[in-house]
Amino acid sequence: RPCTSGQGQSTAVCSPSCSCDEDGGADCSGRGLTAVPTGLSTFTYYLDLSMNNITELPANVFKSFPYMEELRLAGNDLTFIHPEALSGLHQLKVLMLQNNQLKSVPSAALKNLQSLQSLRLDANHITTVPDESFQGLQQLRHLWLDDNHLTQVPVGSLTHQANLQALTLALNRITYIPANAFANLTSLVVLHLHNNRIREIASNSFAGLVNLETLDLNFNNLMVFPKPIEALPKLKELGFHSNGISSIPEGAFHNNPLLRTIHLYDNPLSFVGTTAFQNLSELHSLILRGANKMRDFPVLTGTKNLESLTLSGTKISSLPMDLCENLRLLRTLDLSYNEIEQLPSFQGCIHIQEISFQHNKIQQIDRDTFQSLSALHLLDLSRNQIQVIHRDAFLTLTSLNNLDLSMNSLATIPSRGLSAVSQLKLSGNPQMKNMLTAKDLPKLMSISVPYAYQCCAFVGCDSSSKDSSMKKSAGAIVGDDGEQISMVMHCSPSPGALKPCEHLLGNWMIRLTVWF
Amino acid sequence: TEGPPSCPKGCDRCSEYNGCVKCKPKLFIFLERNDIRQVGVCLASCPVGYFGMRNPEGNNRCTQCKIDNCEACFNRNFCTKCKEGLYSHSGRCYVSCPPGQRTANETMEC
Repeated sequence: RPCTSGQGQSTAVCSPSCSCDEDGGADCSGRGLTAVPTGLSTFTYYLDLSMNNITELPANVFKSFPYMEELRLAGNDLTFIHPEALSGLHQLKVLMLQNNQLKSVPSAALKNLQSLQSLRLDANHITTVPDESFQGLQQLRHLWLDDNHLTQVPVGSLTHQANLQALTLALNRITYIPANAFANLTSLVVLHLHNNRIREIASNSFAGLVNLETLDLNFNNLMVFPKPIEALPKLKELGFHSNGISSIPEGAFHNNPLLRTIHLYDNPLSFVGTTAFQNLSELHSLILRGANKMRDFPVLTGTKNLESLTLSGTKISSLPMDLCENLRLLRTLDLSYNEIEQLPSFQGCIHIQEISFQHNKIQQIDRDTFQSLSALHLLDLSRNQIQVIHRDAFLTLTSLNNLDLSMNSLATIPSRGLSAVSQLKLSGNPQMKNMLTAKDLPKLMSISVPYAYQCCAFVGCDSSSKDSSMKKSAGAIVGDDGEQISMVMHCSPSPGALKPCEHLLGNWMIRLTVWF
Repeated sequence: TEGPPSCPKGCDRCSEYNGCVKCKPKLFIFLERNDIRQVGVCLASCPVGYFGMRNPEGNNRCTQCKIDNCEACFNRNFCTKCKEGLYSHSGRCYVSCPPGQRTANETMEC
């Protein structure tokens, strides 16, 4: 780019309506202009005319700017661009026409912009894209056509765009993706089709997109899984959340081995093929909720880098014994709201930090179920049918600080392995009548227990307290053998006048009598 | 139609302390940092290092590019303009082209 004259800001050739810098940049934005200002330097390489009130571009209005590389006309009221309006802009790389009132792509005006790489036509009123629209634009890399009124994919106009890398047709009214819609877009990396009305995708509609990495089909009306994605070997990010898809077939992603992210929530999923998520070695997170016809745990062989797995609301009743063989890097596991009866050992999942089996049908916890999970800090086993927990089940859980065993059938809990626990929930275990001891829970801050009298071991029985849950400033009391036991901040239900500390045989008549 | 007289250009609703809180349709809101305050401004295109995310509800916003050495991006992960002197390939910016890729100096691409 030729260097412009002068040192300071003031010496640059400029228009009174603009501010110009020494590098050939001219900012004329937001000045209420109704036409392109005159008096600008011929060496202007960057011209910002956005947020003005320009409604038309006449012929040759930019012919004296042979070095212009970026032209911003966004946020005007452009309705017409003369076929010769942009002639002379041989070096133009970026043209911003978004937020205007154009009803069609100004094909004639664009035809000679052979250096153009980025073309923004988003947020106009475009209903038609003539086939010849982008013919002259051999260097086009990035095209924005989102937020317009398109009712179909502009297939014809994309035929010659072998260099195009990023295309958005989002926020339009497209209902159907025809066969070979993007056949020649061999360089395309990103394709956004979200927020349309797409009901159907023809079987080979994505043929030719051999380099596509991101495909966004979110917020459409798809009723069937988009099977044509099998033509996309380089796909890394796929979104089809917020559609009407009810099942994910077997081998759904067998041709997309590089997938890292799949957004599929907010679909009425009822069935998921067990081999759907196999061999996805780049996948880090999988969230599946509400597939209520799903009975078998998915086969995850080869999906070895999964760090977060959420699979809830299914009819799955058993888990593979070798679950952790495949999922060694797992950090969070949420299998709540299923019908799981028995747990395998999670010993191989050495990095796991959070496990939730809330609302299943688990009946017992064995010695090795959670063995050696030294990173585990949250364990939710609430709302099961657990009757027995092996006394050493929590022994090696040195980081466990949040344990929820509420709403089970427990009569007792292990006293060992809870030294790091600060939150413990035991309510809803009616058979658990024994007094708990605070010394096994030195770090405890909050506990919920089946019976109020059990709080006395933690909060000291000041029976005059009124509020439903007992709050005391953290302090410490000294146990019988001089050992320091921390006072719990919060215990519920807390003892009170009608719920004295001594367990009076649990009979309400006796309690009332004592009260009178 | 102009917004309330006291609001900045392109703004439909604003507050004295936080600038614009709701932009006119189709514009992007960008939250400028002003000491500890965030001040909303309405733009037709987002500043360097940000891209415009549109959504049907119309609360379009400028969102940060997540690519190293990138000045302008198409979405979080795809750069459309790398910093001076860097090469772009598949939406990423490189000091030198990855192995197996030829350098195209005229367009600074691999």
